Amino acid sequence: MLVAGVDIGSTATKAAILDENKQVRALSLVDTGANVVRAAERAFQEALRRTGLEAWDVTFTVGTGYGRYRLPFGDLQVTEISCHTKGACFLFPRTRTILDIGGQDTKAIRVNERAEVTDFSMNDKCAAGTGRFLEAAAQVLGLELGELGPVAAASRKPLKITNVCTVFVEQEIVMHLARGCPVEDVLAGVHQAIAGRSLGLLRRVGLEEEITFTGGVACNPGMVRALEERLKLRLNVAPESQYIGAIGAALFAWERAAHGEAGRQKNTSCAEAGTGPGGG
Amino acid sequence: MTSSYQHQGTGRDYQKNLLGAWYRRLENAPRDGTPVAYLFISGNIGELLRSFGFELLFPEVNALQCGIKKVSGGMILKAEDLGYSSDVCGYVKNDIGLAATGNRGPFGALPKPDLLVCTYSGCNTYIKWFEALAELYGARLFLLDVPYRRTGETQRQEDLDYVVAQLEQLAAVCAEITSRPYDPDRLSQSLAHSRAAEDLWVRILESARHRPSPFDAFFEAVFFMAPIYVLRGTRECVDYYEAAWKEIEERLRYRIGPVSEERFRVVIEGPPPWPHFRNFWELFKRWGVCCVASTYSKVGGIWDFGLRHDPARPLESLAEYAVNCYTNWDWTLRRQMLDRYAATYQADALVIHSVKSCRAFSVGQADVREYFTKTRGLPTLFVESDLADPRYFAEAQIRNRLDAFFEALEHRRLAAHRPEAARPGA
Repeated sequence: MLVAGVDIGSTATKAAILDENKQVRALSLVDTGANVVRAAERAFQEALRRTGLEAWDVTFTVGTGYGRYRLPFGDLQVTEISCHTKGACFLFPRTRTILDIGGQDTKAIRVNERAEVTDFSMNDKCAAGTGRFLEAAAQVLGLELGELGPVAAASRKPLKITNVCTVFVEQEIVMHLARGCPVEDVLAGVHQAIAGRSLGLLRRVGLEEEITFTGGVACNPGMVRALEERLKLRLNVAPESQYIGAIGAALFAWERAAHGEAGRQKNTSCAEAGTGPGGG
Repeated sequence: MTSSYQHQGTGRDYQKNLLGAWYRRLENAPRDGTPVAYLFISGNIGELLRSFGFELLFPEVNALQCGIKKVSGGMILKAEDLGYSSDVCGYVKNDIGLAATGNRGPFGALPKPDLLVCTYSGCNTYIKWFEALAELYGARLFLLDVPYRRTGETQRQEDLDYVVAQLEQLAAVCAEITSRPYDPDRLSQSLAHSRAAEDLWVRILESARHRPSPFDAFFEAVFFMAPIYVLRGTRECVDYYEAAWKEIEERLRYRIGPVSEERFRVVIEGPPPWPHFRNFWELFKRWGVCCVASTYSKVGGIWDFGLRHDPARPLESLAEYAVNCYTNWDWTLRRQMLDRYAATYQADALVIHSVKSCRAFSVGQADVREYFTKTRGLPTLFVESDLADPRYFAEAQIRNRLDAFFEALEHRRLAAHRPEAARPGA
């Protein structure tokens, strides 16, 4: 038995396929772009390709993320708050607080000992403190996203970034550079600004250890360090941080399949190719 | 469950007709020579003004009517063209935009005021709003200075005496404008109608204690409460609540509720996002959510806390009412009110809809959220948009929050009913 989770985020779409033992069999990631349906199909197909199996082998699929209702082959939609909780508590069972920083969303989630969401808080109609804030900084500094953390690590005197707007922060960065401030200090300041905003969200739900950091931004070691310094705590960070929503979705799918629920016929391009029976 | 019943739709339809007739009277007021007074809903002393023959107009009600009929966005932009900042109250900008475009809205043409009575001084922006209208129309402004209701104190007599003295001054102003003398008997008669309507309205509100609740105390209450806000003190208002109660009684008899299956009972704090009212309601309906008590349905009066207009003490009871309007209470009193609602109406959760353009009323809501979540253990959802400005309503984000919140409540409920061994981590 295979089950799948597809997390259609604002920036990236992720897919995870799990087997009957809840082992992750494949992960994939594609840019979401303008066509969320196409992105979901591509991510799912890519993960499937890595398992060497076919769409009809997948018993149940759960969609999550902003594009979840557009997932044409999804059997169930679950919010990313529940899915990140599911995935984080699966990988780190002692998790009590989750910080998820994605492309446009930052969420702080409190969970109880039964891995149930008891409270959550999110950024509001503003991308400050999200992955987009880092993207804006990378763009103006001419760096790749993967370079941000290592460059910031060289900082000896992080600057204070006061702007809370993702658009205007670019102006502030340019102003600091024009004054001759080192790139690494500017960048370290950007990381600290995001850490500060995240801390506000975490405090709103109440900080309790262990804290698990999820989402694409958790792949940035500079961000992990900035947060750990502010929190004076170690964070749980999994190598598959960016996929935790998709893994959580696949775990919901696993529960449904384990209770004997069967999903609908998979209507992806693979299933459409008529290579075998769908659903199952 | 019965799909249709004898009095189905009475509350909504009758209300719609009453408000339509009221707006027509307002439109015809200049032709009929009827004097017009503008005033606020909170703590309004409409009965006193009506006893002088004034027809009453409530700019807040016009603003919400523009919101629900989706024309507030244009009005707000018009006010911003005039220089009002994007941070100013959406109701104020809607009204300024309305006035600047000939005072004609989806409800018809509005008359100019003969008198402006700023009946609520708890919000400084509201005072400035009426000052702006006074200048715009060249109308007389009477500012009723209502003392703030402080925590831990019983009602102070000097506060009531202070308001009564102002009401006497206001009566003299009304007599001067209308050339009619103050008639306490006429006022008492009006207050008797108010009291009768208040008894019936409380009965409707408290029907939400039943399971399932026959009535949504937020999404339906905004329609059912309109007559007691704008027509209180009239016989037609009492007639309305007698008819509306029949509908509720019938719903109770047949166990009919506003949602087909009541899965969650919530208390709601804050006003609705009027330009997206139906979408917002749908987001709750999808989860089988029924609001069993709300603070917004009390901005016109906290009669469910025992307050009543008293024909035997006309000015004193108007003063009591003005001081004790919900928005004139401090946060401790408001929190106590929410606490009582959550317990009495057996709520599963609290929902706070915060208003971006209203600092005066929204500040403190984050503390309320923290109190209920951490001290009371009552799951609390916080969403933010605006009461009039459609630009602040981000449907995808609000839907995501709502879905995540009720999804989590459902998971916890299911887990609580699951055998111990089947629970994660067990």
